[in-house]
Amino acid sequence: MNDSASGWILVGALAIALPAFATWLWAGRARQAEQLHAETRRRLEQLQREFERFAPPDLVERLTEGRGDVAPQRRQVTMLFADLRGFTSLCDRLDPALTVAILNDYFRHMSGAIGQHHGHITELVGDGLLALFGAMETNPWQCRDAVLAALDMRKALVAYNEQLKAKSLQPLQFGIGIHSGEVIVGVMGAGELNKFTVTGDPVNVASRVEGLTRELGVDLLVTEEIRKTLDAGFRLRPMPPARVKGKREPIQTYHVESNDA
Amino acid sequence: MAQLLDQIPWAEPLLAPDIDPAWEAELKRRGGNGSEVDRRVAPSPWIREACLGVNTGRACAISAHLFNVAALVTAQENACRYCYGASRSYMQMLGYSEAYIRRIEQDVHLAELNEKERAMVAFCRNLARSRPRPASAELDGLVHLGYTREAAREIALWIALGCFYNRITILIASPPEHGFEGWVSAKRLKFLLLAPLMRFQAARRRRGKRDPAATAAALGAGVYGPVLAPLAGLPGAAIMKAALDGAFASNVLSRATKALMFAIVARSLDCGTSEAEARRLLAADGFGDAEIEKSLASLESARVPAAEARLLPWVRDTVHFQTAQIQSRTREIAAALGNAAALEAIGVAALANATVRLAMLVE
Repeated sequence: MNDSASGWILVGALAIALPAFATWLWAGRARQAEQLHAETRRRLEQLQREFERFAPPDLVERLTEGRGDVAPQRRQVTMLFADLRGFTSLCDRLDPALTVAILNDYFRHMSGAIGQHHGHITELVGDGLLALFGAMETNPWQCRDAVLAALDMRKALVAYNEQLKAKSLQPLQFGIGIHSGEVIVGVMGAGELNKFTVTGDPVNVASRVEGLTRELGVDLLVTEEIRKTLDAGFRLRPMPPARVKGKREPIQTYHVESNDA
Repeated sequence: MAQLLDQIPWAEPLLAPDIDPAWEAELKRRGGNGSEVDRRVAPSPWIREACLGVNTGRACAISAHLFNVAALVTAQENACRYCYGASRSYMQMLGYSEAYIRRIEQDVHLAELNEKERAMVAFCRNLARSRPRPASAELDGLVHLGYTREAAREIALWIALGCFYNRITILIASPPEHGFEGWVSAKRLKFLLLAPLMRFQAARRRRGKRDPAATAAALGAGVYGPVLAPLAGLPGAAIMKAALDGAFASNVLSRATKALMFAIVARSLDCGTSEAEARRLLAADGFGDAEIEKSLASLESARVPAAEARLLPWVRDTVHFQTAQIQSRTREIAAALGNAAALEAIGVAALANATVRLAMLVE
């Protein structure tokens, strides 16, 4: 075989080998990219699941998808404040681990009742909680949902108290205040601590109404704004108008006794 | 983040298959595939017709490719294990690569999807999800990107029909087509080689002509006419119209219950057009304005038969749901109402969700 023929064979071999090599290289890179993408998605999903322990799943989804609809906005929202009575003094007498276990179980029961009625808990402070209805999206039944959630919370507390009683532990008592109004919703905070929450006068009113439950000796109070939206199936008892901090006029509240529907 | 196929929980079937030889023969004659869904919805004439229509329907303004992508994305977004699995396998059968399907599922904006396709995928997700609810501007966005107005409307129609079918299969918890999925998976190589032929056949099966009978006047004449009229000419419009006419003509559930179910879905999605149409139906049944308002506010009505009362709060939960929860709640409904009424309620809820999603786009 002469040199010229060898050269042509070499060129031919290269002409086949080089594209094959390039294709092999490209396929390898593509495979790597796919693997990298799959791994990134797996981590993102894990992060999302972890994050959902701290914020409503809908909000987490919006944040992870980079959608702009978590920007602060004014919205009609119904706020439900619930606070345990006498729990602080109970804490002083109980083992810390038992105290936390009781509190966690209590929150789990309450969270179930709230979630069942389209609400979500946005804050847990000590033994108190703030649940929002209609904060994530328009909810025309938000007042009704909040009251039904509160009635289910009442039932859930009775059931949980049975468990506590079986363990010779003191039963829990709570007070719930519900109010509705236009508030600002959004992700608020500073530095590394941010949360999705609400701010505005109606939030303060809801909190004060929860405070009134202690004063008026009932477990569940709603304001006139809530009462106006409820149908006759809800049995309400008007309470004497009461003064609350930050309001010039006394506010009218109603004790929710039951729902016959 | 929309769930992937293996992440969707799925309950045991709610309804047993109803083998009706006459209907099976009819299905075969009309190109149906005698699926798990077809057999389970067979007792309801209008639901089985609508399901067959969705499975064999044709499109005149969009390609089979867009049609397949829209079906996949809508099923994934609705977390419908049945439809998602079937759509995925169908695309594999047509020779779509696993990587391409994954990119659509994972919403990865790679070069394989062009700008128009990406916009269409986003539109599918937004309309199926409706969180927040879309409006006519979203349709205009598709037109702006180069889709014809008719194509944009046809995409919306098929997403709405997809939402209908997805809800039927989710609420009856139809068992996935494991046989079909396994068969396609086992023959991947063969399908890759036959891809051009398969795609050609599939495209031919879905390609339709404008429907001269589906005029704006004809579509606009019946229930929810104002929502259907803009779909004039589209071959799929007849499926929607027949379903709406059939649902309201059926006497398994009271007319008041059905109209209230539509009104509740409309209010959930803040769709004034749909609510107005539901109010018109309720008014024709003797409801006064205050009574309608009271029923919508309380999710109950004295005119709704006692057995059907639980459908009003339930239908609200068919708008946005977690699959496991809504399947469990629907099981409670079926236990209380019996299978025939439960199937009818499932059909009405699915249809209300589809109709209101279409109606939002005319606002």
